[in-house]
Amino acid sequence: MLERPDAAGLLETARDVLLRELLPHLPESKRFEARMVANAMAIARRGMAADAAPALARLRALLDAPHAEPDALLNLLAAEIRSGERDPGTPGHAAAAKALVELTRLRCSISNPRALGGSR
Amino acid sequence: MDEAARARLADWLTAAAGAPVEIASMALLSGGAVQQNWAMDVSRGGAPERWVLRTDNAAVLAVSLPRTAEFALLRAAFGAGVTVPEPLFCCDAREVTGAPFFVMRRAEGVARGHVLVRQAAASGGDPALAAALGRELAAIHSIRPPRDDLAMLAPPPDDPARDFVVKQRAALDAAGTPRPVLEWGLRHLERGSPPPGDVVLNHNDFRTGNYMVHEGRVTAVLDWEFAAWGDPHADLGWLCAPCWRFGGAHEAGGIGPRSALYEAYEAASGRRVDPGRVHWWELAATIRWAVIAADQAERHLSGRENNLELALTGHIVPELEMDVLRMTGALDA
Repeated sequence: MLERPDAAGLLETARDVLLRELLPHLPESKRFEARMVANAMAIARRGMAADAAPALARLRALLDAPHAEPDALLNLLAAEIRSGERDPGTPGHAAAAKALVELTRLRCSISNPRALGGSR
Repeated sequence: MDEAARARLADWLTAAAGAPVEIASMALLSGGAVQQNWAMDVSRGGAPERWVLRTDNAAVLAVSLPRTAEFALLRAAFGAGVTVPEPLFCCDAREVTGAPFFVMRRAEGVARGHVLVRQAAASGGDPALAAALGRELAAIHSIRPPRDDLAMLAPPPDDPARDFVVKQRAALDAAGTPRPVLEWGLRHLERGSPPPGDVVLNHNDFRTGNYMVHEGRVTAVLDWEFAAWGDPHADLGWLCAPCWRFGGAHEAGGIGPRSALYEAYEAASGRRVDPGRVHWWELAATIRWAVIAADQAERHLSGRENNLELALTGHIVPELEMDVLRMTGALDA
């Protein structure tokens, strides 16, 4: 229905042009900014491909809040953690850790996949 | 800086130095949103000298204290034997150049973290440089409260560890974005917070990237604007935190082994390093940097400053959160 290449494909190709064809011609003083632009395009492309549904489903199950919006879920979990309800030794500790790890892996897969290297 | 301002500056410097100062050249080294650094080549009484003039941007004229505070800190550090550019003159009036400024000698060297870490890695780590960093920290930590010349600093905290947790929670609440992973890290810190001990001057941003190195030696410790009284292990933790290793394998700032840093620090300070406390402050450092990074992104998101670098800084938060989860054992829970 929609024309191809899609948004992610265009970003990928445009980023290639920036890095391979434009960057070598830029003065040294502008290369840092060009690399930032390339980095922003890569993050945007990965963000389009990411699927937050499994991490959100795990949070909803953890907090027994099947219809809560993402921000409400995070607020609830943040408050529980601060009050000690998810401390080691509590029944919900391991499940909270797993949910946080899954959420953070998802966020890293968009913002900086290299950060996933050492985290199994 | 226009011709008239430069002429006023030369006159002011001549009076401050008690000898004729002529400005041969001035070049902007780096312009941030808040500060400007100018490289100045001058002659003082006929002899050439190389200086840096540090000033506020016109946009932040209202804040005159920070430059004078930084000057006072540099003077205290210089007096304690820390390798800092010698602070020369400070002007808190706006009439000379349009903003308060101070002048210090210009140090030679490389500060860029990636470059220094790559150089150290090429020789399998640089224990001598790591040890030199330990001696710099020991000299900084020889400055203890009370100090009349540092009266602009907040009073020493009774309990630096608890104070840290309280302040970071307040910052998270003020920002308004729920961050359960940072809460997880703060709660972990709170459960294991070390009792109060020595209180010393902390640089509070002592990390690779904020000191200069020339031919393997530290030539300047830079960026004193976060200095505060605190637990000496806080500076060691900030330097050793995974987020400040620039991808390097070596735990002391990506430069060398922790043992070289600790041993030199202990020898120079006469204070035992408590590795457990350093680890506590390493997790604290990771959280503190995440809170700062999120705040920088917020400056962009709020529309106050539309800026790509600030926007991208927000995307550092997830990897810092991964560090927090790793350091708190959540990956194995």
